[in-house]
Amino acid sequence: MKQHPLCTDCETGADVMNMPVPANLKQEWAALQTRRSFLGRTGKVLGWAALSSLMGDRGLNRYAHAAGSTSRIATPEELKLPHFAPKAKRAIYLFMSGGPPQIDMLDYKPNLSALYNQDLPESIRGGQRLTGMTSAQAHFPIAPSHWTFKRYGQSDVHVSELLPYTAQIVDDLTIIKSTNTDAINHEPAIMLMNTGNMNAGKPCLGSWLAYGLGSMNDNLPTFIVLQTRLNPKENNQPVSSRLWSSGFLSSQYAGVGLRSVGDPVLYLSNPDGMDREVRRKMLDAVEELNRQTLAELGDPETNARIAQYEMAYRMQASVPELVDLSKEPQSTWDLYGEEAKEPGTFAYNCLLARRMAERGVRFTQIYKRGWDVHGDVMGILPVLCRETDRGCYALVTDLKRRGLLDDTLVIWAGEFGRTVYSQGGLSKENYGRDHHPRCFTTWMAGGGVHAGIIYGETDDFSYNVVKDSVPVRDFNATILHCLGIDHNRFTYKFQGLDQKLTGTTPASVVQGLLA
Amino acid sequence: MTVAKNVARLPRSSLLKLRFAKLTTPVSLLVVVFSALLLLLPVIFRLNGKPHADWQQFLGRFHPLVIHLPIGFLVLVPLLEIAGRKRPALRETARFVLLLAFVSCLGAVTLGYLLAYGSGAQGTTVVRHMWGGITLTIGVLLCMLARRTRPGANASGVYPVILTITLLLLAWTAHQGGSLTHGSNYLTEYLPAPLQRFTMRSQAKADPGSFYAQHINPIFDASCVSCHGKSKVQGGLRLDSYSSLMNGGKDGRVIAAGKPNESILLQRITLPTDNKRFMPAEGHPPLTAEQIRWIRTWIEQGASSTATSLQGIVFAEAPKDPPIVPVGDYSSLMAEIHQMQSGEGAKLLSVSSKPSDGLILRTVDVASSFGDAQLAQFQKFAPYIVEVELGRTNVTDACFDMLSKFTNLRAIHLEGTEVTGAGISKLAVLPRLVYINLSGTKMAEEAAAHLASMKNLRHVYLFSTPAQPAPAAAPSGVAQNSAAGAKL
Repeated sequence: MKQHPLCTDCETGADVMNMPVPANLKQEWAALQTRRSFLGRTGKVLGWAALSSLMGDRGLNRYAHAAGSTSRIATPEELKLPHFAPKAKRAIYLFMSGGPPQIDMLDYKPNLSALYNQDLPESIRGGQRLTGMTSAQAHFPIAPSHWTFKRYGQSDVHVSELLPYTAQIVDDLTIIKSTNTDAINHEPAIMLMNTGNMNAGKPCLGSWLAYGLGSMNDNLPTFIVLQTRLNPKENNQPVSSRLWSSGFLSSQYAGVGLRSVGDPVLYLSNPDGMDREVRRKMLDAVEELNRQTLAELGDPETNARIAQYEMAYRMQASVPELVDLSKEPQSTWDLYGEEAKEPGTFAYNCLLARRMAERGVRFTQIYKRGWDVHGDVMGILPVLCRETDRGCYALVTDLKRRGLLDDTLVIWAGEFGRTVYSQGGLSKENYGRDHHPRCFTTWMAGGGVHAGIIYGETDDFSYNVVKDSVPVRDFNATILHCLGIDHNRFTYKFQGLDQKLTGTTPASVVQGLLA
Repeated sequence: MTVAKNVARLPRSSLLKLRFAKLTTPVSLLVVVFSALLLLLPVIFRLNGKPHADWQQFLGRFHPLVIHLPIGFLVLVPLLEIAGRKRPALRETARFVLLLAFVSCLGAVTLGYLLAYGSGAQGTTVVRHMWGGITLTIGVLLCMLARRTRPGANASGVYPVILTITLLLLAWTAHQGGSLTHGSNYLTEYLPAPLQRFTMRSQAKADPGSFYAQHINPIFDASCVSCHGKSKVQGGLRLDSYSSLMNGGKDGRVIAAGKPNESILLQRITLPTDNKRFMPAEGHPPLTAEQIRWIRTWIEQGASSTATSLQGIVFAEAPKDPPIVPVGDYSSLMAEIHQMQSGEGAKLLSVSSKPSDGLILRTVDVASSFGDAQLAQFQKFAPYIVEVELGRTNVTDACFDMLSKFTNLRAIHLEGTEVTGAGISKLAVLPRLVYINLSGTKMAEEAAAHLASMKNLRHVYLFSTPAQPAPAAAPSGVAQNSAAGAKL
């Protein structure tokens, strides 16, 4: 047997075949050796195959570079974005995590009160598979909204009495009643809303924007995430950094979270005894080391790390200025309310979002948790609305009076809606609502969208979309469109696929939403 | 076909007599009586729009099949007559073919009438087609009679005239029938545009900016075209274009311009919802009161395809910003622009991947050191810059002089600067300027008055300036509403 040149096993030693041993032993030995050498060599071959595939890509890429091929991943400059003149330069996404109940807020269903406590017709539910929380219920009693609705604005839109402030800005809003999603549980649904895919690992909307459109400001992150302080009475679903992760994009495009308590960014301020100059020297030395590592290993993540250190250094100056509200005039507090002075409240975050918009932050996402009202809707929903209603109104109004709403897109959405039927017992005093993916209400305002309209319709039970369905992928395609991006052309090659925010199912921009 | 023969059996026996008898008065009398009977048919069995027996419809639905026989036979007759001038044998055949045409005509009329009577069909086109068919049958009968009176067989005389008229009648009747099955504009829909002017039907295309295109057509699109559209043409009516709407369906025109009460379309959508003839049918949601009001007003004011607004209907729609005008070619300056982008300082960024969309001047990173002198350095890029972001920079009123040279400017951001508005009238020369943000400046009221005279300027922001318009009262009702909300 010929020795493989890379095989280090010593097989040239004593050969049993030439020894004076019985023939049956020789045969047995031959069989053993065959098996052993087969297994041994298979392992090595696999190793070589793995190595060559690891090397090969790089080697191939080098050839591709030499040939001027375009198959490698485009840098932001090469993306040639925006594809067309955008209406909005930046976006602010108010994310209502947990699934706000559309029936109690914006999707007015006047006929339901007559059907109080009647079973939801089977024809409406249409054999839908429900969550484990209500699938065992014997009855699906219809729970009309406890709150009354009135018409507001020139657009004559019905708004619940729970949202007295939002009601004042309906003429600036584009209300979408027909948003719908494929997922019925929080984790997949919130991933789908944010990243266009139910599975973790894909970049979120903000990261795509940071990658594609780049920063408008050297001193603040392109994509900032603000979390609203928890109200322990609410049913808070977890929200974590996977929602603002950059997935397979470079980690420099991930969202930067600002903390609501204490320092907005941990360890951003210099410790005692270190001034800005010493910090600069330290960072220069670290960068030098990082550049050596980069030259040695060629890992692009090293570049991301260098960029992040630099950003952090600049943020030492820019973030304190950003969160310093002492120079805000009284008119700000009249608009946002005194609550906005308290870091971590939704109103405070809305005010910060406006300040970031002024300072050129491309994408700000504010998370408000607690909307998962499986029970005690009457107790909790007014609290949730009171926490968020004025902030939404103030943000849109403030952007508008300062001339920022023309080129800022504001988005208000949760990951799904809630059921018309009551989860658990229905009484005149209380009810609960389960997750509902088939329709939920969202709104947008500002650059690129048609103000003062309602888009889409749901059936009499706010259960199924009957007109102008807006699936999540179309919702996201429309957001990208407002920012000047053709969602089909904005791709990133990964795992053999031209990945994009809207996924592989064909998506389309909802023309009816555009201004 | 067998059905046709069965149905036609009775009249055929009388025909046989006709064929073999010498031409006598009783024969003419027979023809007159027979014609009278045919003409009386619609009077005896009135088409009252109500469906009758199913078997009638079942047989009736063979009408579109059988109808091809008389058409084929009749077209053959003149050919045989003409060719018969040279070969007399063919003339003999013509006589036989004419007989076949008559028999099949009778069959087709019978089946057609069964179809109309059985299904309760109604409408002007149906009636026209019916009379066409009956008259045609009598015409064929007269042809046979005329042919007998002139057995001498020269081509002149009554017979060729009657035959020609019968053939023209055939074409017209067949067209009516075609309109019933395929819709009235089936034939002319894809007619080349230059020829469309000559067709009798209105083929007018609606103006895309018209009230019809903006508001009326979308109603039909949403509620009607699933049954009255390209894929399904119920009642021969299509509502997917202005021309098809105005052409109407088998009940004739559905829109009577200026006469809403005579417009069938409006009648049908305003019937009580439980009426059988109510539209949209089959449980589709009724039109809203507002949509009906729009349609009524639109018909009342002439059902125009061009009028952009109607009296009495007002939309609170913000006027759209004018489209982007290409700024011209600046490729020779690109190297410099790229250099600026990678360096520190103010940057020029492209609005989009299309260079002609222009450039944005962005100063946010160097705002504190950016003043009038720095702005002046961008003069050579001036015609290509469509937006200047000068917020919180050190520019002063002197910047207006410079900015007036930025001829393609669409937006100026000056928020938080020290400008007072002196010299702002110089911006009046900028034809494309739609946006100016002066929030937080020292903009004086008299200077702001200059902005009002700039015609294209749509978005002016004076928040927190001396010139700020009186603050809009805090949203009415919020205070007490929020108090109510707090109680909940």
